[in-house]
Amino acid sequence: MEQIRKDQLTKKDTQKRLMKRLSAPHPAALILILSIGALILIMTASISIGVSDIGWRDILESFTAFDSSSTSHVIIRDLRIPRILAAALVGAFLAVSGVIMQALTLNPLASPSIMGVTSGSAFMIAVAFAFHPQSSYWQLILWSFAGAGLGTGMVFLIGSFSKRGLTPVKLALAGAAVSALLQSLSTIIAIHFNVARDISFWFAGGVAGVRMESVRLIGILAFAGLIVAFALSRSLTIMGLGEEMAKGLGIRIGWIKFISVLVVLILTGAAVSIAGTVGFIGLVIPHIAKKVMGMNYRWVIPGSAVFGAGLLVLADMAARTINPPYETPVGALTALIGVPFFLFLARKEGRG
Amino acid sequence: MKKIVLGTLSLTLLLAACGNNEEDTELDPADGTVEDEDAEEVQESEGPRILTDGLGNEVEIPEDPEAVLASYLEDYLTALDITPVAQWSINDGEGVQTYLQDDLADVQTIPYDLPYESVMSVEPDLILIRDQIEQDMVDQYNLIAPTYVLNASPTSWRETMSEIGRVLDREDEAASVIETYDARAEETASLVQETAQGESAAAIWMIDTSLFVVHPERSSGSVLYGDAGFEIPEVVDQLSDDADWAAVSLEELADMDVDHLFLISDGDSELMEDRLWQNIPAVENDNVYTFDSQSAWLYYGPIANEQVLDHIDSSLQQ
Amino acid sequence: MDRSNQPSPYKDKAFKRSAWLFLFLICLLGVLVMVSLASGYLALTPADIWRTVTGEGTAAHELLLYQFRLPRIVLAVLVGTGMATAGAIFQGVTQNGLADPGIIGIHSGSGFFAVLYLYLLTLNQDQPPVWVNTGLPFAAFIGGISAAVLIYVLAWKEGVTPIRLVLVGIGVNAGFSAALLLVQLRMSESDFNRALIWLSGSIWNASWAAVLRLLPWILIFIPSALYKARVLSVMQLGEEMAVGLGTAIEKERIKLLTIGVALSAASVSAAGGIAFVGLIAPHLARRLVGGKFQRLIPVCAVIGAILIVLSDTLARTILAPTEIPVGLIVSVIGAPYFIYLLITIKE
Repeated sequence: MEQIRKDQLTKKDTQKRLMKRLSAPHPAALILILSIGALILIMTASISIGVSDIGWRDILESFTAFDSSSTSHVIIRDLRIPRILAAALVGAFLAVSGVIMQALTLNPLASPSIMGVTSGSAFMIAVAFAFHPQSSYWQLILWSFAGAGLGTGMVFLIGSFSKRGLTPVKLALAGAAVSALLQSLSTIIAIHFNVARDISFWFAGGVAGVRMESVRLIGILAFAGLIVAFALSRSLTIMGLGEEMAKGLGIRIGWIKFISVLVVLILTGAAVSIAGTVGFIGLVIPHIAKKVMGMNYRWVIPGSAVFGAGLLVLADMAARTINPPYETPVGALTALIGVPFFLFLARKEGRG
Repeated sequence: MKKIVLGTLSLTLLLAACGNNEEDTELDPADGTVEDEDAEEVQESEGPRILTDGLGNEVEIPEDPEAVLASYLEDYLTALDITPVAQWSINDGEGVQTYLQDDLADVQTIPYDLPYESVMSVEPDLILIRDQIEQDMVDQYNLIAPTYVLNASPTSWRETMSEIGRVLDREDEAASVIETYDARAEETASLVQETAQGESAAAIWMIDTSLFVVHPERSSGSVLYGDAGFEIPEVVDQLSDDADWAAVSLEELADMDVDHLFLISDGDSELMEDRLWQNIPAVENDNVYTFDSQSAWLYYGPIANEQVLDHIDSSLQQ
Repeated sequence: MDRSNQPSPYKDKAFKRSAWLFLFLICLLGVLVMVSLASGYLALTPADIWRTVTGEGTAAHELLLYQFRLPRIVLAVLVGTGMATAGAIFQGVTQNGLADPGIIGIHSGSGFFAVLYLYLLTLNQDQPPVWVNTGLPFAAFIGGISAAVLIYVLAWKEGVTPIRLVLVGIGVNAGFSAALLLVQLRMSESDFNRALIWLSGSIWNASWAAVLRLLPWILIFIPSALYKARVLSVMQLGEEMAVGLGTAIEKERIKLLTIGVALSAASVSAAGGIAFVGLIAPHLARRLVGGKFQRLIPVCAVIGAILIVLSDTLARTILAPTEIPVGLIVSVIGAPYFIYLLITIKE
């Protein structure tokens, strides 16, 4: 008994010592605060840009002295702000999902879009469109969760059947195959039920026309999901050193994995239900965050959330301004950023 | 090894040869027309009418065609008192042009993309095609029946009407359909003059939470602005692109300051509870008129347009 | 020089076996073609077909059979042959069992250029010129070559490892798909829907004219592929070995890739991006006749044809009268097979 307790004590100790060693030096905190500041700045700037340009004064007044008969005030409050908040949330969700997936699989290419999780969500949304066209927003989110689960489940199943697990390459290939399968099925449904155009916009992704109620709903989920993600950060950091070592340090790997997958499902499902399949954020941002914040997930996770939010808000701003008054699908824009990055990783990864 | 190579080669060659043979004997539409010409010369003194269609092909129009297939042009045919041999439909015949069903109730449906075998099954003797399609497809349809692709832009119903009249040898009837329509449009125009002079209007098609606005010169847009004489809101002009209905955001709609809103929608949307929606002048002044998506607003043609005029009249007289 | 050219009893046996197998597959294809001829929106009994073939059928049946169903099936055969052979070449060159022109971005490169070509041609004029369809395979070919060059250059880092090639290919695929989306959304709704159906892989409006456009490409490049089959086999022995046997590896690779791209691009221009054929067919062929490309390519080509004819028959019967693009059916069959390969493959 005594022996075991001592053992555990030392394990806790080692964990702590390890964390200390891995703890990013103070810059991480500073960077985080600065980037939150930058994010707020970007979001505010984003409010004024759109079909009708709105001055700073109007923006300020819409908060301080809201007038519901002023069109620009209502536009700010009912259209721009929900949209920007949605972009920020979706960006944060996808980035954090990506971080967790990469940490879990120890695979630099893991991310919601590459692994077919977003295609899963979109597939179930297609199903919902075809068979329950009157689905409420709540129901759509549930469909989307189920779909994320479907996509993840398939990839994990493939992983567990594979003899030596999923190497980065296999993972990317499995994801491509799962995506191809689900997209084909979605398209068959779309053609048969004549909802092709609706669904293709889901595949393109975008946060135009998001309503405040959905943002609130998603916001609650976000809060829960991000807090759990944050709580997982220490275990994830230690697992990053290898499963054997983590086991040795008393991390309950199975449990942590289960919770992590659940968080990924919730975050990705919520993101797709609101914005469709926006690709590559979950791939690009975690890498940047790790570069900037160090290896400690306590900093990497919030860092990714902020960076991801910033990237999608910027991309959405670009989507509105490239070709006004038309909206460019934001998913295509993130792909244009993400593809070179993916290629860079592929060059690095494909060494073996 | 060589055997296998030869095997593949001879197989492909065989298939190719098949193809060539067929083409020599059957594919060439000229063969068919030659025969027809002979036949008609015997019966008719006037000779066959040959018209040049929108793809530059010379098409021989049969005398008094009985089974005309003119998918998505049924409106024009009906206006000329011709019953088409089959009617446009989507979703395996579930979706048809409801506003025409008084006249087309007994007409069988054909899928909108006109698969060859479906076209064969209705045995048309003249096929009219609304949109510019590939020559390849026209060649294939020509094997079934003479196929004429309209020159007229599908977005101009008057041109389309006249051309169909010309093709079917009913030019006078077509002209009178247009005249009658124009006279009818005058009534609405004067009503708009009286009750809503200088006021703007827009037709908005609402599908769940997506909004689309009609092009100012197309479909019901041409009726609303061209015939009835409503003002075109600035945003509508900016948005009009290549589509009959352009996607419009609630923000743009709010920006439109439109006085009269013709809303095409099946039931209420959560959009309508929005404060921005409430701020639209048309909504504030209770000048929103709702029609379902089966009504004539989404279509082209004299009958559709006349129904739209009726809708405008009854809306303004409310 | 090449030991595989020396006769040996074992080899003769293997050859005989492959030849029989090839014949069997051809017969299978023949049966499928018959089934496919008989199935469609309009009913056609085997007796009707027989009467038509012997020249005693009605004119309507003749039209239906020879002008509508047969060109479609022939096109399916050609496309299947082209894509499967292209797949075999890509797998051989990259020495990667998972390399499929649809997955590594050759198809989306072809598709992107083809759609761009159509879009630009119709941009400033109502009516495309007459040669629009003849130019399509060339546009697709340029697109496919660009994609291949792009993949090759990006994957080059003191040589090209197979794995990096596939990974980079996936990235390039995503890039072209995004670009394609941007072009597509600029199109009008009807063009958009047509592009969507075309890109998903569809041969429903096949005609002899379409067959004749594809045929030269197949007739030139399939024999070239067979001619180069020996080189492919040598490559499988490993780079050092191949160089030792006097094969100029890089040069041959480029030649082979050009053949592969030509075959896949021409097929894509005729039928849209049908993925997974180039993956499944070579694998099944390898199982049946082993890894020697001289035997593998013919068998693989027939399997490809069988696959597309089968999928096309399903595509127009499952949800009839709605026609599903054949590429979607192939994906639904192919993706699980790909996953199965992924699970069992040894890296």
